[in-house]
Amino acid sequence: MLAIFKKELRSYFTSMIGYVFISLFLAIIGIFFIFNNLLSRQGNFEYTITNVSFIFVLLVPLLTMRIMAEENKQKTDQLLLTSPVTAGEIVMGKFLSVFAILLTVIALISTYPLIMNLYGEVPFASSYGSIIGFILLGGSYIALGIFLSSLTDSQVVAAIITFIVFFITLFMENIAGSISTNHSTAFVFFSVIVVILCLILWNMVRNLMLTIGIGIIAEGIITAIYLYNPTLYDGAIVKVFSWLSATSRFDNFYMGIFDLADIIFYLSIIFVFLFLSTQVIKKKRWS
Amino acid sequence: MIEVKNLVKRYGNHIAVDQLSFTVDKGQILGFLGPNGAGKSTTMNIITGYISATEGTVKVNGIDVFEEPEEVKKMIGYLPEFPPLYPELTVLEYLNFVAELKKVKQSERKKMVKDIMEITKITDMKERLIKHLSKGYKQRVGLAQAIMGYPDVIILDEPTVGLDPKQITQIRDLIRELSKNHTVILSSHIMQEVSAVCDSVMIINKGKLILQDKPENLSSHFNKSGSLKLVVRGDRKAVLKALNDIEKIKKLEETESLEQGTISFTIYSNESDDAREDIFYAMSRINTPILEMQSIRMSLEDIFLKVTQDGTSLMDEEEGI
Repeated sequence: MLAIFKKELRSYFTSMIGYVFISLFLAIIGIFFIFNNLLSRQGNFEYTITNVSFIFVLLVPLLTMRIMAEENKQKTDQLLLTSPVTAGEIVMGKFLSVFAILLTVIALISTYPLIMNLYGEVPFASSYGSIIGFILLGGSYIALGIFLSSLTDSQVVAAIITFIVFFITLFMENIAGSISTNHSTAFVFFSVIVVILCLILWNMVRNLMLTIGIGIIAEGIITAIYLYNPTLYDGAIVKVFSWLSATSRFDNFYMGIFDLADIIFYLSIIFVFLFLSTQVIKKKRWS
Repeated sequence: MIEVKNLVKRYGNHIAVDQLSFTVDKGQILGFLGPNGAGKSTTMNIITGYISATEGTVKVNGIDVFEEPEEVKKMIGYLPEFPPLYPELTVLEYLNFVAELKKVKQSERKKMVKDIMEITKITDMKERLIKHLSKGYKQRVGLAQAIMGYPDVIILDEPTVGLDPKQITQIRDLIRELSKNHTVILSSHIMQEVSAVCDSVMIINKGKLILQDKPENLSSHFNKSGSLKLVVRGDRKAVLKALNDIEKIKKLEETESLEQGTISFTIYSNESDDAREDIFYAMSRINTPILEMQSIRMSLEDIFLKVTQDGTSLMDEEEGI
């Protein structure tokens, strides 16, 4: 794992990508920092952080697009998969290398509130709370990016898919808001989701009985709830979307609320996508 | 050392490997020989644990690849068809990475990387980025990667592709050297290569094992055709008449003569009949000197072509008899 971690970090800095990422990141944050804090004479660093939370959508694909896709294309996955390392270690090594770059940048911007503190009052709790939220949000995007990159063997395709998916996550709540809130729409919506999930499941395990079984059970539960108490579905889509929306969770950190549920939410997002990436790698053996 | 039993790999309806079984002993060099798409790479990918098999088992040192892949991977060094290189790293960085990946102890790492660069003759290139290397050097870096950690089993998929003749000889010597302490499996579609290096050759076509034997014995499987090349000096009509009188000759083909005044034939007879003496006496009766008489042995290339075109398993036939 350490070998992969070191190699990935080195690759980022032997090519331009690492430098480009860090400088763009610092430049964008710097601009917002100047406008939100310096020019408007405010000590609240969380304003800047919230404003730039879109930054991951733009910059994380830069780091993650090649991370798996390039291995697939150069056939170097053959080296990794025939070496005594597990798929989990491969994914973890890669995740940590990208995460380390993110942490480097965040270590730099963590000094901003301290610098501001020299000249006036800074609300440290919400400043650093938002920075922690920022790290978790970044980690989630990185995990998602690694997963999307593992699905293809072209950097360009990976970059485009990642960008589109990230963009959707950004507007998840707005999209949900525009969907009808009545219960029949929600029922149809969840039924479709179950079908899609079953298709994904079938693609991964190739076990027809299992897939159909799980599909029927899930659809059954949805129908039963619908027949029993249809009002439960009122506005359910919006609830689900905002529950899933990584960016709306982030608002809590910004307000200085340090909720364990939010931290666990981000950690599980990271875990789920890293887990899915290892499954994609393992699946290659069986195709 | 390596035991492969009833290996089958299916891609949908296409069968890439079909009921392949073989064993390789320690210190042996086994050569896979077959045309492109014969299933050589697929078999190697299965042994190294890169892909799974549809059916069958592979055991390395008694450990099953499908049950304990990590253990088996520790014992195998693999050079795939396309050397798995990171173009953005230098040779040295790459080999250090591989050494670490293969869990070579830190204390031994530096020396091992240095030694392996010496063996594969890439020391001069160690500071170069891999993307700037020529095909031959890339192949050698790939080979260095496979040897890293000195695993018990070294599997090389077409190791000499893209090398010049001098390098090919060097690599062959290297493989022979390696076989003293390691078990080697290599694949090739070039006959001489396999016969020059290997202790045992397996000819594979369409995923099936067609023939396995020592390289020097291969031709004996096919020498029963009994054809002869004959060059005589004399009158064409008389010679033809005399030859036609010999019963053992089944078929007579006149071929182009290279020397003036000579006549050349290819003569076919039954496998069991040796027509050479009859020809000698027949020619001496009509006072025609025989300049050349040679039984035509199949070269390794001929065997390879014949075997892969027919696509029949000779192993089965022999067992049947």
